[in-house]
Amino acid sequence: MHVFLEAGIIGISLGAQYALLALGFTLIFGILGVVNFAHGGFYMLGGYVAYTCVSGLGLPYPVAVLIAVLATGALGWVFELLLIERLVDDHLATLMLTLALYLIISTGVLAVFGPISMEFSFPVGGAFRAGPIYVPRENLIVLAVCLIALGGLWLILFRTDLGRALRALADDRAVARAQGLHPRVLFPLAFALATGLAGLTGALVTPILSLSPGVGDPVLATSFLTVILGGLGSLGGAALAAFVVGIVEAYTSVYFGGSIGALVLFVLVLLLLVFRPTGLLGRETRGA
Amino acid sequence: MDATRQDAGMTETLVRREPLLGGAEIAAILVFVATFAIPLLTKSVLVYSVLNQILVGVIAAQSVWIMLRMNLLSFATPAFMAIGGYTVAIAGRFDITDAVLMTAAAFLLPALVAVPLGALVLRLRGTYFVLVTFVLSQIMQLVLFETPSLTGGSNGIAGVPPVTLFGSELASYRQMLLFACLLALLATLITALLTRHFRQHFAAIEENEVLAESLGLVVWRYKALGFVVAAGVAGLAGYSLVNMLLTAHPSSFDSITAVDFIAYTIVGGRVSILGPIVGSTLLIWATNLFGTHGQYAQGLYGVLILVVVLAARGGIVGSVAALSRRWRS
Repeated sequence: MHVFLEAGIIGISLGAQYALLALGFTLIFGILGVVNFAHGGFYMLGGYVAYTCVSGLGLPYPVAVLIAVLATGALGWVFELLLIERLVDDHLATLMLTLALYLIISTGVLAVFGPISMEFSFPVGGAFRAGPIYVPRENLIVLAVCLIALGGLWLILFRTDLGRALRALADDRAVARAQGLHPRVLFPLAFALATGLAGLTGALVTPILSLSPGVGDPVLATSFLTVILGGLGSLGGAALAAFVVGIVEAYTSVYFGGSIGALVLFVLVLLLLVFRPTGLLGRETRGA
Repeated sequence: MDATRQDAGMTETLVRREPLLGGAEIAAILVFVATFAIPLLTKSVLVYSVLNQILVGVIAAQSVWIMLRMNLLSFATPAFMAIGGYTVAIAGRFDITDAVLMTAAAFLLPALVAVPLGALVLRLRGTYFVLVTFVLSQIMQLVLFETPSLTGGSNGIAGVPPVTLFGSELASYRQMLLFACLLALLATLITALLTRHFRQHFAAIEENEVLAESLGLVVWRYKALGFVVAAGVAGLAGYSLVNMLLTAHPSSFDSITAVDFIAYTIVGGRVSILGPIVGSTLLIWATNLFGTHGQYAQGLYGVLILVVVLAARGGIVGSVAALSRRWRS
């Protein structure tokens, strides 16, 4: 029984991480109509920025995480403003731009840090025990921070004017513009918000998992899987799907081991597309 | 009498038959016919190695290009390459190495697998298509790892025997390379015939899918046909790759290699069949210039894609064509 509970907590913790990634991804798609292939790149960059701050500059880990969020957010903001903005209505072109950015980020990281994985470990060790239940303390801290970030994101999107403006742009860009909203200001902000979330996840999770130039690829694949499952552009769907993916992954890896769980999950998502091409909570929205 | 003749004339102009092959297609085929001369003229191992990589890359890029003709960006190429490549490697275990038979199998098996997948994937709109084809390549990786009795799992299948053509073994490097030329020529021929024959249909889908559909074009039929043939062509690329390495390994078919094939196609230019050919030749050649620092070539691809998307939409071939047109007028 305690194995079952432990796996559940790990699953929820994974789900919270995936939710931060998938919400960022789906924000960018929902608001701008852009598929962000660089999302895994921002995750990786978040990890490397935090690593540099901790081991290069000797900053405390929480400060390093904050700097990672700001740095990835700023890069996202600049990238949107300078490049994506010019071609924002061309789906294929923006996809190619983000793909190019991913290749450049990966190569840059490879050139600066080399191909080997970094010695980057979470500053808090030990485990939390409650009776027979045993959960690494780092997982609980990551879970707490992810949940706070998710709550903050919810507040921004549903309780502020900025959030209302962003959701209006996602609903109908033409109408939102006619109401006096400025995509030129809001698009870079949305992009920065999303890439900052990816950077936050990277800074939090890479010390637990690993930090090497290849870590972006599986993140990209998981983000894709999650948003397909949840329905492209649906925030609630992305969050729900992230927890489904995290929990399924945790249980299958405990009870079956290896990558069988991932395989089953991938195939299930494909089958879901047969019956519900718009995902769990998706609607027919964007003509993308 | 007059009316009938006029009517016949009208029909002729309305459904003007495409010529079997156009200028670009003929040029592409001539390029690969000429390529046969390279292994016969030189014995340089470096030239052989680079040419062999190019011959594999060209086929894979053509598979991407077929779908791009309909404005669909496919990341599924490595998955279908894996089916083609592993088919050949597994058959090799049973000493089935006949070139004609294996070429047919490496084309048909991925194409067959693509039929149900196409039915699933092509109902989805463009963006979903990109994501789902990426996921397909991921699934293929996992399948390769999880079926060790068939595919050797993470070890792959080493020691794939060389192909035999009409009973004689093509074991020397030169003979292997000539066979790679043959596969590239075949793939080019298939791609050229398909995209030329359905040029207007594909162009209509690329231009405006909804409009094409409302004008009576059965869009899904052409998309499905393109997807199936692109899968077959990718299978040939997998065959050529396994034949080059004499090994079938999961890392050869990593989903992220799809990015390379897309880069070849976009940088070369999506306007004509010469695009993927020029793009893969130049980029693979450039990658080899990096020597032992080959991993940095990805950054070059990234920069080149940025340049093409922002400044030269036609890629190399499109830009050259535009320049020569301007120069002539």
